[in-house]
Amino acid sequence: MNFVLAMLIRDFGADIRALRFAMIRLVIQPAVYLFVFGHVVGGMFSAGGSHYAETMAPGIVAIAIMSGPVTLIASSILPGYYYRTLEGWLLAPVSLRLLLISKVLGGVLYGMVSGAVVVGLVWLLLGFAPASLSLLLAIGVTAALFFSLLMLVVLCLPRTPDKGQEAFSFVLMPLTFFGCTFYSHSMLEAPYSQLALMLPTTYVSEGLRAAYNPSLPHLPLEQVMLGIGVSTLLLLPIAEWAFRRRLRDFLW
Amino acid sequence: MNGPVIEVADVAFSYPTGTMPVSGLSFTVGRGEVFGLLGPNGAGKTTTIKLLTTLLRPTRGRIRIAGLDTRREAVAIKGKLGVVPQDNNLDPALDVKGNLVFHGLFHGLGKREAVRRAEQWLEPLGLREKAREPVMRLSGGTKRKVMLAKAFLTEPDLLILDEPTSGLDQETRSFIWQQIVQHCRSHGTVLLSTHYPEEAKRLCDRVGVLRVGRLEETDQPAGEGIPAAGKIVALTPELRRTSTSGGTV
Repeated sequence: MNFVLAMLIRDFGADIRALRFAMIRLVIQPAVYLFVFGHVVGGMFSAGGSHYAETMAPGIVAIAIMSGPVTLIASSILPGYYYRTLEGWLLAPVSLRLLLISKVLGGVLYGMVSGAVVVGLVWLLLGFAPASLSLLLAIGVTAALFFSLLMLVVLCLPRTPDKGQEAFSFVLMPLTFFGCTFYSHSMLEAPYSQLALMLPTTYVSEGLRAAYNPSLPHLPLEQVMLGIGVSTLLLLPIAEWAFRRRLRDFLW
Repeated sequence: MNGPVIEVADVAFSYPTGTMPVSGLSFTVGRGEVFGLLGPNGAGKTTTIKLLTTLLRPTRGRIRIAGLDTRREAVAIKGKLGVVPQDNNLDPALDVKGNLVFHGLFHGLGKREAVRRAEQWLEPLGLREKAREPVMRLSGGTKRKVMLAKAFLTEPDLLILDEPTSGLDQETRSFIWQQIVQHCRSHGTVLLSTHYPEEAKRLCDRVGVLRVGRLEETDQPAGEGIPAAGKIVALTPELRRTSTSGGTV
């Protein structure tokens, strides 16, 4: 069997075995967000001429797409490091790049699964369905790829992965709350609107708004694709470098 | 291939800190041989094993495994190896059987074949009842058995064992010795690192003694900034495998 496929089955299987936690992460957490911010708070006021829930729902999908890779890569790399499972993987007759690809691909798929669950929840709880499935898919895949690479960088760059875990708290928070997830970019004024453009979550949330309802205020699609695309391309070599360096140090 | 299975030629390895656990290391191991790597803790045995298994790259010199260069042909080499590292590296997310099956899958076996071989190894290692047990719940000795089963599972040309019996009771040690000898009879070459001389004496055709430091050898104090270096200081070709539990094996 192909190494990448085997690794994907291993990673997904490990998470399914912890089904209770997977359910909380995949379903209950976003459902609570959607109910409180979408159904309860969202019904109270409008935003930019549209229902607030409609502006916010794509942002919750963006958070779900982000949390998938974060969870999968952290739950794979951290035990791999501390229980030395990584060593076993490194002894498999495959290149380091293939191991990296398998981890990134796992993150992407998990991001897509998390996103798909929340897309379903948005439809069930709020009654919103995406206007363009292809745009939703394109943004979802690119965003999941970006967050997989980001997670690898954050976990692999510091001296030990637990330091990476700490660092991620500082990265995750601004990405979640300042990346135009709970509000549209058009609702921000300078300098916050410029600062928000530095966060890739802004492009993901705005792109998903366009995919859900093109009449909602959102950044131009070209800018969205450029923002996600450039961030991902910049992160790719850094992620590979950080991953190689961390594994080298792990073996020392 | 008729040449040696392991060829180590003037190999050195140094960490960025300047520590040089291995220096001027040269030895060969022929097909069908059980070669023992002896030495006290810190002598450079584990570093040597990491170099042989391609996990580390030599700073100087050359290592060839089955005629393949460890720098350029690491993937092909890893396909020929069965390794028991010093520390357990079992996957805590999987049970005993899962660890074996996924090890097979990662090494390119088909699912059916990986399951068949996992089943095949559960019985002789006494792991049948523990097949569905999470590995974290296993005792140290049982974890070691699972590690050994992983190494054997892919039917490797070369088995590399880093202190496989360290800290184990006599019964488990004897059992592991038996497996090593059986493997050698059917498949071939074994490199065994140990700090138990009696283990080497029982199992090995030849032994290389690795000592910490050229400096220790020359009996001069280590100067500041001069790293200690490990190298094989004695090869004993006369030792033959005698027994695992008193009798001839």
